[in-house]
Amino acid sequence: MILGNYIVSVFLIVLGLWTLCTQKNLIKVVLGLGIIDYGVNLLIVSAGFNEGGTAPIYNLAELARREAVFFVDPVPQALTLTSIVIGACVDAMALSIVIMIKKRYGTVDADEVRRLRG
Amino acid sequence: MIQHFPVLSVMVLFFSAFLIEIVGKKEILRNVIAFLAVTASLVMLACLIPSVMIDGQVISYWMGGWAPESGYAIGIGYEVDSLSLLFALLGITAYWLSCVYSFGYMKGKQNLGHYYTLFLMLAGASVGFFLTGDIFNMFIMMEIVTFSAVALTAANTDKLTAIEGAFKYLVNCSIGSSMMLAGIALLYMNCHTLNLAQLSAILPGSFNSTTLLAFALILTGFCVESAMIPFHPSFVDAHTVAPSSVSMILSGMVLKLGVYGIIRLSYIIFRVIDTSAIQVMLTLIGTVTMFIGVTMALAQHDFKRLLAFHSVSQLGYIIAAAGLCTTLGLNASLYHAVNHTLFKGLLFLCAGAVIHSTGTSDLDSLGGLSKRMPKTCICFVIGAFSISGLPPFNGFVSKWMIYQAVYEKAMQTGNFFYVVVTVTALVVSVMTLASFVKVLHSVFFGQLRKEHEDVKEVSPIMLIPMGIMSFLCIFTGIFYREFDRVFINSAVTSAFDNIDYVDGMMGDGYSVTYGLAGLTGGNLEFSYWNPYVWLSLFLMVFAAAVLVTLIMGRTTGRTLESGEDYDSAYGTGDLSVDFRGQTHESGDPEEKYAVFFSGEKAEYSHAGGSDLFWGFKYNWHRYYEVLQGLHSGSVNDYSIYAVIMISMLCIFMYIFMR
Repeated sequence: MILGNYIVSVFLIVLGLWTLCTQKNLIKVVLGLGIIDYGVNLLIVSAGFNEGGTAPIYNLAELARREAVFFVDPVPQALTLTSIVIGACVDAMALSIVIMIKKRYGTVDADEVRRLRG
Repeated sequence: MIQHFPVLSVMVLFFSAFLIEIVGKKEILRNVIAFLAVTASLVMLACLIPSVMIDGQVISYWMGGWAPESGYAIGIGYEVDSLSLLFALLGITAYWLSCVYSFGYMKGKQNLGHYYTLFLMLAGASVGFFLTGDIFNMFIMMEIVTFSAVALTAANTDKLTAIEGAFKYLVNCSIGSSMMLAGIALLYMNCHTLNLAQLSAILPGSFNSTTLLAFALILTGFCVESAMIPFHPSFVDAHTVAPSSVSMILSGMVLKLGVYGIIRLSYIIFRVIDTSAIQVMLTLIGTVTMFIGVTMALAQHDFKRLLAFHSVSQLGYIIAAAGLCTTLGLNASLYHAVNHTLFKGLLFLCAGAVIHSTGTSDLDSLGGLSKRMPKTCICFVIGAFSISGLPPFNGFVSKWMIYQAVYEKAMQTGNFFYVVVTVTALVVSVMTLASFVKVLHSVFFGQLRKEHEDVKEVSPIMLIPMGIMSFLCIFTGIFYREFDRVFINSAVTSAFDNIDYVDGMMGDGYSVTYGLAGLTGGNLEFSYWNPYVWLSLFLMVFAAAVLVTLIMGRTTGRTLESGEDYDSAYGTGDLSVDFRGQTHESGDPEEKYAVFFSGEKAEYSHAGGSDLFWGFKYNWHRYYEVLQGLHSGSVNDYSIYAVIMISMLCIFMYIFMR
């Protein structure tokens, strides 16, 4: 059911934003970023979905017979792959920065990691 | 041949980035590669000026030759019109200067191979962002910019807090780019294309609730990237702690990604700028940003943090002027964007030179450096006068155009809001000048600190970029008509008339099928009120001020007799309470302030950065308590502001644009 996908993706985005706003632990903040990414990825994949469509692999002869061709849009899937890779990079980078914060500040509490302010 | 230049100028940067990673530790080879890559890119983009800027061509390039098929764009395309070329040229110039500066500034630091790799990736991604014709490619370039910027900030080994600034920057940018990606997904659902030219043919005039939401989300992404309020705090943090050569890029250049995005989005792709709701919204965001940026800057003690808040303030000017939707407004906005890169880059390079020589960026512990670093001081004065909008420097021209554009808009629409904007812009400019008087006084003038007696001027390799930027600041201030005609006017034309943009990419006659028509934004001819009248006015005021200082500056009051201690002459009664109302524990006044009360007891009497304007700050202390409380430094608080702004933008679209 495609409507379910949209509801879940919006729910994931909101959950991620809620995590960012309320969780003091920096690791959880990074997880929040990840959850927003997953929500957006689900949204993109759902955008290309066609009910009853097949995989978009055809040769030219099949493409010429228009009536047999009904497939799922491949572009959003390519976008999602790219977006997953980028999301993984963001998470990895953010987590490595959290490790450095732990080394330098001795804590991962967002209330104590705020020497830059005012 | 020439149509390959856009893609080559991006590729040479990315390719050299990985080449440097292979070369690794060989310093000279590494520097040569970095320099050649940036120079090659600059030259190739400069070669495009005659055909794009002057002849008004649109250069399109399809990756792998995947040209559009029956009206649908299939591949990824690069498209260069005057607007993109203006920003790309601006960007690569800033990167060239920063690269030269880095050779001197970063010398002797560790892991420089990685530094130049990330630097070139940042450069390539920024140029690619401006030149690309595909909205998803824009998103990817934005992410690469974020990555490299975060890594470059976090790798600053001089500052302990660098890692914190980098983390906040990453979280904030990720929120923005995730929202932008969600918006792109919604756009794709409706239009089944990602090509900017095709989108700008389909979208204008045919809105539904999905595309409105998409517009709000993508606008959020660009507002984050351009550090509009309330997204600015984490940017300020990152600009403060990054190495100065990178701060200059982050503050002067990377913020322009957002500006370009907002202009491209609202003028060309969605074409919503001609509705008054969007105009008021963008101008309002810009005005609030410029005011909060400058008032926060007045309260700063850190050299680079002050400059970063001024960047936020100047970006407010740019967005406010871009939101007017008049040709003069956009002209002013683009001119100010160019000028902002020049003078803000110059100021950050000067700050870097000061930090390089003295090792500190705290305004309260600097002073009198003009004797030791005269060339840096001259460059800084030029930058400070430019950003404060004094003639004949470039800030004056663009700010003048902004005042005039907003004023004309107020006359045209009769909307009282634009009158408020005009007054705010003037007041903010005055406050900018006040703030830079403070910096000039507490860093370059006054008394030299004892610990800085042996400070030396920085090396020529760092002075050359500063000199070039100072020259450009004066050049664009004096030859403004010529500069404006060649570079800015064509960009304004291409933003207002998107038919060429669509046809250049999708084939001739494509826009006709969608019934596109250019925006009408008023007359491109604009008249400056003669700046030289204002120059003479300035000189008169200046002469009056000098005269007053000379007359009033004579010694008044009695001088101390020999052998008479100032304590016995004036008494020590209430001096244990200084003018801030703070009682000193020892019972003695802080020696530094004694000079303000009576005799020359203190050997050292330099008024530090936090001493000037304390009266202003005291009168506004309620405002500052609230505002400094809001800049709390907690990543959770900044996320809350971001969420509030995202929801407000979405609600705004649904109320006013349906």
